[in-house]
Amino acid sequence: MSRTLRLIEKVEGEVSLSYRVENGRLRAVSTSFFSSRGIEKILRNREAMDALVINPRVCGICGHAHLMATVRALESAMGNPKLTAKAEALRELTLTLEMIQNHFKWFFLTIAPLLGMKSPIQAAIEPSRTAASMIAVVAGQYPHNSYAIPGGVVCEPTIREKSILLYSLEKLIGYFTRYIVDTDFRSIEECEKIENILRMDGYLPQAMRLIMERGWERLGRSRDRFIVFGENGIFRQGKSMATRYYPSLRPDYIEESFVPESGANSVRYRGRHYETGPLARAMVAKRPLIREAHRRYGDSLLSRIMARVCEIASLLHYCRELIAGIDLSQESYIEPGEFPQSGVGWGVVEAARGSLIHRVEIEEGLIADYSIITPTQWNLVASDAEEGILHGALEGESADAPIELIFKSFDVCSVCTTH
Amino acid sequence: MAEKKLLLWLSQLACNANAHSLLNHPSLEEFQKSFDWLYHPLLPSLSSLDEILDNYEEMECDILLIDGALCAGLSKKGVRMRDMLEHFAKSCSHILTVGTCATYGGIFSAGGEDRSGLHFDGEKRLDGFSDFFEKSISLPGCPVHPEIVVSVITALAQGGSLPLDSYRRPKEYYGYTVHDGCSRNEYFEYKIDRHDFGHLEGCMFYEHGCRGTYSAGSCNMILWNGVSSKTRVGEPCHGCTEADFPTRGLWRTEKHMGIPARLPLGVSKRAYLSLAGVAKAFRIDRFHRRILEDEE
Repeated sequence: MSRTLRLIEKVEGEVSLSYRVENGRLRAVSTSFFSSRGIEKILRNREAMDALVINPRVCGICGHAHLMATVRALESAMGNPKLTAKAEALRELTLTLEMIQNHFKWFFLTIAPLLGMKSPIQAAIEPSRTAASMIAVVAGQYPHNSYAIPGGVVCEPTIREKSILLYSLEKLIGYFTRYIVDTDFRSIEECEKIENILRMDGYLPQAMRLIMERGWERLGRSRDRFIVFGENGIFRQGKSMATRYYPSLRPDYIEESFVPESGANSVRYRGRHYETGPLARAMVAKRPLIREAHRRYGDSLLSRIMARVCEIASLLHYCRELIAGIDLSQESYIEPGEFPQSGVGWGVVEAARGSLIHRVEIEEGLIADYSIITPTQWNLVASDAEEGILHGALEGESADAPIELIFKSFDVCSVCTTH
Repeated sequence: MAEKKLLLWLSQLACNANAHSLLNHPSLEEFQKSFDWLYHPLLPSLSSLDEILDNYEEMECDILLIDGALCAGLSKKGVRMRDMLEHFAKSCSHILTVGTCATYGGIFSAGGEDRSGLHFDGEKRLDGFSDFFEKSISLPGCPVHPEIVVSVITALAQGGSLPLDSYRRPKEYYGYTVHDGCSRNEYFEYKIDRHDFGHLEGCMFYEHGCRGTYSAGSCNMILWNGVSSKTRVGEPCHGCTEADFPTRGLWRTEKHMGIPARLPLGVSKRAYLSLAGVAKAFRIDRFHRRILEDEE
């Protein structure tokens, strides 16, 4: 039986999706990627600090998360030098802002057109531009800066930067109300009833209504297994099988294996594939609205879309707390001492698309080995298609289903996957 | 502008940051009204990439933007990227290499065989696309500043002259160095070589590998995201606009006999040492105090 080959584009590059159609249903789903840039190879034999400059260039939309994973991996190899609360807060803030710009762009540039929504381009551009300039005010530029280095951050923000952050954040909150849901953004975090959101104005309720009118709300269900490695002021580490929660994970249980037909590495935790990303984060952190969506629709495309867009509200709230908590009088940087001649370090962060993991091995002062595991690898690449996450979402689905929408509900990043 | 010019953005081995950076232009919405994208990897476009891959031989564009390092073996859906680039390069009026990868090869050229920029492999001139050299404009930067892309496209659409250097970079943006406009300039001029990370004061040229004085770019004049730059916040310039980016040891200054191995663009060692000697003869207190220190 012949295979259907589809080019999925505008996913930070492209992915080739292939499947067979049997009796009107999708079978033998697989993905493949056109190229790899070989970042891990480029890093080998370089000075460890060079990774801070190279690694943001893994990705144009989540490069800052790669910077944070890098600096944590290097610090871990150095024995975790002390950071001030200010340095920690600034790093958290810029990382969170990157997630916000990502979610706005994804919803309005990727999802809205697939639903036929007539949202203005400003809905994507105004918030992402504002978030980018907030990152730049402390980190110098966005995309692609390396302002976080072992020991802290390079900048010394003053009242100028703090007031720009403060008022720009209020602008971002305004965009959330204007474009996402016309309500106080805090109420989304506490909301438990999907009907309450559906009654409101805004492009999120509109998208939800469109999905429900077409009967798509339960499409795209997969394995119902979620994993979250990163932990911070709003995210909790752990894995969740449906609604059962297991805390504490060990990075050494992660296994990566090359899948030749895909051209990328699959990744498993103790032998199993897991979904990572905002739905996983909401399930592990037990966010009421998303748990309610999950109870009704399962780990479907609607739950995924709601989880990612509603996460913006939590991220905005987190930014507000972080900015308010920055004590400008603290040091930005504490000299961390010499780099060890040899050592191993792990860097784990929650990036926009899910858990991002870097591992560095230093020998004779140089990078002997560097390994990058990205969220889309968890969600899209499978060593065993019977177990894969995207595979589960599409396998057996009707050939008339919105296949591209199901695919893109994972917020796929092609360039990160092969890196 | 009489009619809308048709722009085509084709990504090779890229990270997509040049495309994202363009979205940060403060007047993008207004710019978009004067141009159509045949394809852009993020913005609404007249065609899908799929349609272009299937029918590119019947298509044309006015301005071709190439992003990412070229790779001899790269194909998408069985279409060789090289063939597609050549097709559009023939009929378009201008080619822009957007970013350092498309211009010189950049970071990703070290990750595999047969990778380079369109006309350059580092500083080395290549022959492959030399028929199109005269219609090409180089816009290096990792990523390229969005203002440069928008201004150059606008200038090309309106006609008139665009002075270029030997790498075909527009002089309006690359006739300066990243050092121009840096808020730390005084520490450089008066040869204050102490710099500590996490502080407003000090110049990264002496110890921390700043390449701003010899890297072509206008980061500190046009600023990033309208607000700042790497060197202003205290990160050394890594020379991301240059043909040799990324060099090794990006956070430390290589020295010969205590003198920085690379000196400001066009400045001879003799001139540099003479000026440094004079500057170092004076101790100017202001440069040894914290800017935010309370005064009596």
